[in-house]
Formats: sequence, structure tokens, C-alpha cells
Amino acid sequence: MADASRRGGRRGSIAAAAATAVLLVVGVVALVLGLKGHDGPPAPALSAVGAQTPSSGAAQLSPTPRTTPRASATPQPAPRFGAFLGASQPTRIQIGSIGVTSTSIVPLRLAADGTITVPGTADEVGLYENGPTPGQLGPAVLAAHVDSKQGPGVFYRLGSVKAGDVVTVSRADGRTLTYTVDKVATYPKDAFPTDAVYHGSFTQSEIRLVTCGGPFDKVKHYLDNVVVFGHLTRIA
Amino acid sequence: MRTTHKIAGIALGAAAMVALGAGPALADGNVSANLRPNAGSGVTGSGTAMVAVTGTTITVTMAATGLLAGSPHAAHIHFGADARHECPTLADDANKDGHLNTSEGAAAYGPIVVSLTKTGDTSPKSGLAIDRFDTAAGGKISYERGSITVTPDVATAISSGKSVVVIHGVDYNKDGKYSGTTKSDLDPSLPTEATDPALCGVLASAPTGGMATGQGGSAAGTNGALVALGGAALLGAAGTGVVAARRRRVEA
Repeated sequence: MADASRRGGRRGSIAAAAATAVLLVVGVVALVLGLKGHDGPPAPALSAVGAQTPSSGAAQLSPTPRTTPRASATPQPAPRFGAFLGASQPTRIQIGSIGVTSTSIVPLRLAADGTITVPGTADEVGLYENGPTPGQLGPAVLAAHVDSKQGPGVFYRLGSVKAGDVVTVSRADGRTLTYTVDKVATYPKDAFPTDAVYHGSFTQSEIRLVTCGGPFDKVKHYLDNVVVFGHLTRIA
Repeated sequence: MRTTHKIAGIALGAAAMVALGAGPALADGNVSANLRPNAGSGVTGSGTAMVAVTGTTITVTMAATGLLAGSPHAAHIHFGADARHECPTLADDANKDGHLNTSEGAAAYGPIVVSLTKTGDTSPKSGLAIDRFDTAAGGKISYERGSITVTPDVATAISSGKSVVVIHGVDYNKDGKYSGTTKSDLDPSLPTEATDPALCGVLASAPTGGMATGQGGSAAGTNGALVALGGAALLGAAGTGVVAARRRRVEA
């Protein structure tokens, strides 16, 4: 009996020692990796910090340059409007160049304080409900988290998107829209280009993809927003 | 003496007028609207509108689809100081006929302040200038007009998000034209289908500021989750280490 318990004790002590060794290794590796950290989400090459020219992109998108003299009382020539559809909710968004596909699309609302709400989880993409749906004229504004407290979110790699990349949006009405990226830029949140994001041009169907970026401050906020600007190039 | 006072009074009054005129600074800005089917309209269309306000001049860009094709669609910006600054609901259907005519919607959006005509006058007087509104070929409207002059009050109402765009003209009986025995509340020579609201949307300001789309779990620098895991593992190692040591002591 005493022998058995001693043998059991020896086995237990070997197991405890082994567990200690494993936990030590895991602990040290995790700590080293964790403290070493990583480079954070990718940032676009174009940064609008300081010198802001968000309207240059928007102006470029506008099919007719607005050079109409103010004094002119005659009706202006009808602008060439781009193709557009009626409202229909997006059901799927795909950004092939960064391997993003999402079918979790939620509405983003205007909060009581005048700001826009954000998706409840880092896996969802939100569409600003008071703006156009993709396919209507004007910019459809879609936003998603770059990360949660746990790790990367669905738009983690948004800063790697380049001009010329393609964003595909499927809608509840069965249409599939292809948007071509015009530019990707980073803006300080306190100098967010509201007009370029929400208004842009209402003579063509446009898209905006927004997430967080830049430095992560001590109050646990990202200081910048990364914005992808694109316009509709194909309706299927 | 009295004359001097009078003159001084007039001068002061004039100064006050000038001050008032320059007073409430006009807020330039852009507002936009999602145009949705008006309650009870039977319309399935939709549209968007954007208005840029510069001083007392506005530029309107508007597009819609799903309207009765080939028929004039009066379109206006509405605003009333005592209106609700929103689109009407069936609760505004005073005569309970299931449809909202233009007057029934007024408590929600107020009277016409701008007529979105293609040519000529844009004042409320042109509200029913049927021959100068878009006729929606294929059910679609795409409209842009600049250099529209409004009063300072209207400019302020628009840029502060209190005005409403309404496109009129519906087809309740689906016969492809404005018809029916009910007369328009605005012009008895027209059927009510010609003037009842079809699409409606509040011209609202965009959200302010940036977006809070990150919580830092992947931010550059230390990885909180991994550090926590490492810490927990080391604590665990300490625990099992103590057990192992104790066992050894018992054995010895």
C-alpha cells in the first residue's frame, strides 16, 4: 500500500514537473511574442495628415467640372449622370486584393451625439443607413473594425488596398456591382474629411470603406481613420 | 434737439439692422437625403438627393427611380418652422383614405420653399408648374441645378438639416397615368395622383467626426492577449512547480 502510494507520488511528481516545463515554455514564448508584438494594421501610402486635399479625389470623380459662372442665369447643361439603381441592401462585400469577404452587413445609425455608430463586433461590416445603398447615386459608406480587443477585425488589412483594386458588392436584389478604388488615405479623426466621405459626388455611384489606423494612444483609441474611395465601374 | 435724437435713433436702428443682417452667420454646408416611398403612396421607387449650401445659394443634385414614367413629377424642398422636419406617416392621413396628399403631409414637412424646376423660376410660386418639372423617362429622374437663390432663413433651415425633399406624382390605380376621380388638394383641375407625394427624404447633415472602428487588439506594440496567455502559463508553471517540489520533498 505504502509502495503504491509512493509510486503514485513519483508518477505525480513527474507529471507535475512535466507540466511545469511545458507551462514554462509556453509562458515564456507567449510573453516574448506578446511583448515583441507586431507592426499593427497596414497603413496606406497616402496620408492626409496636415495637407488635406480630399476634394481633389472627389473633383476627379465628378463627371462634369463645375466651372459654371455664378452670374449665369441660363440653365446649366445637364450633367452626365453615371448609371444607378434603386435602393437595395448589400448582402456581401468582397475585397479580393486583401482577401476579405463578408456577408455580415449591419446598419450604422446616427447616434444622439451626432456621430455614426459602428458595428457591434469586429466581424461585421456596417452600411450608413441615412446614405445611399451601393448602386444609388452618391457615396455608400461602409465601415468595419480594424480590430477588437482580442485581435484583427474584418478590415484589418484595409490600409493595404491600392488605387485600381476592385471591390465587389452583391445586393439583396441579385445585382452585383464592381467598384474601382480611386485612392486610399489616412486622416486624423479630428480632421475627418466628412464631405469627401459622405457627399463626394451625387452624380455617380461611389463607395467608401472606413476603418481605424495610425497610432494607438494611451486612452486606447486609434487616432486616425483609413478611408478607401471608389466609384462604380460595372453593374451585373 | 428732438430732431438730433430722432436722427440718432434712426442711425442706431439702422446700425442694429445691419448688425442683424450680418447677424446669424449662414452656415455653409452639404446635406443629403435618402428618398424613400412616402407612406401610403404605393410607390416602390427610391432616390438620393444632395444640396450644397453656399450663403443663400444652393445647388441641388437629385436622382430617383421607380416613378410613374413619362409623367411630370413636381419636386420641392419643403420647410416650415413649426413642421416636424420629417416625412409624414399614415398618422397624418386626416381623411383616412389610406393615402397622404400634399396638404396632409404639411404638418411633417411644411410648405414648399424651393421648386425644383428644370428651367425658370424656382420659388414656391412654381410649385405646380407642371410643364417645367422632369417627366421621368423610364421612371427615372436625374436632376442637377445650381445658382438657386433662397432666403437666409431657408438657407439656414436647409444647412441645419430641417428641410425635406418631396417628389410628387403617384399612380394608385396602376393605369400608367395620372387619373381617378379624387381631385388634387392643390389644383382641382388635376387628379390627386398628379400631386400626392411619391418619394420623401429629410436633407440631413452627415455624421460628425471620425469613426471608432478599432479597439487596439492588433495595434502596433505589445500583444495584450499573448502577454496575458504567457503570464497565465507562467503562473500555472509556478503552481505545478510547487506541487512537483512538494512531492519530491515527501518522497525524500
